[in-house]
Amino acid sequence: MKNRLKVLRAERDWTQAQLADALDVSRQTINAIETGKFDPSLPLAFRVARLYGLRIEEIFHDPTLDKDGNGLATEIRRNTSV
Amino acid sequence: MNQLKPPENGYESRTRANVIRLFRWSGAWGGTCALLAFGPKFLWNRALVFTLLAVGLNVYVGIRAIVANKKYFEELDDLQRKVHLNSLAITVGVAMIAGVPYSLMDSYHVIPFHADISHLVVLMGLTYAASNLYGTRRYR
Repeated sequence: MKNRLKVLRAERDWTQAQLADALDVSRQTINAIETGKFDPSLPLAFRVARLYGLRIEEIFHDPTLDKDGNGLATEIRRNTSV
Repeated sequence: MNQLKPPENGYESRTRANVIRLFRWSGAWGGTCALLAFGPKFLWNRALVFTLLAVGLNVYVGIRAIVANKKYFEELDDLQRKVHLNSLAITVGVAMIAGVPYSLMDSYHVIPFHADISHLVVLMGLTYAASNLYGTRRYR
């Protein structure tokens, strides 16, 4: 899962520690999410989205989806339809 | 600059308080284990009443340590919980894989000493510490 957490944080000039405090998690967790080593749970993703006033999909992006937001299931359906 | 207001009782301070509580109850439990192990012989000359009291104290403090551990786990964030869960999985696995053959080796006199439960406890402690350290460094 890719995300724009680092960009959004930099835009607001927040430190990892400040963001961690605001989300009630450890600084290590923020760093792990930003570097893509760890994907947050759904409740944490919602907290991030609420904090930035954005939708979850505007922050977190599944690289297996195409640009229209279609996933593997759509591709399989397309390939198997005759 | 869009400033964030720091919380009054933030994650770090809560976790620190939970670790201190867990450390105190675990230490107290270790103390009651020592009392139970050495007290009957050195302190009250095997008087049954005092031994039973020591057992009761050991169980009570042990339950408080379990509650403190549960609270510590419940208040961890997603990543820390994942690190601890991985450590627990490795520790339980190592305890099972190492414990059974170790016990059997004692039964068949392959090892020249008694396979004491404390050896397994030490192995579990070391495994948990090592896997936790590895997990913490991995997500640093």
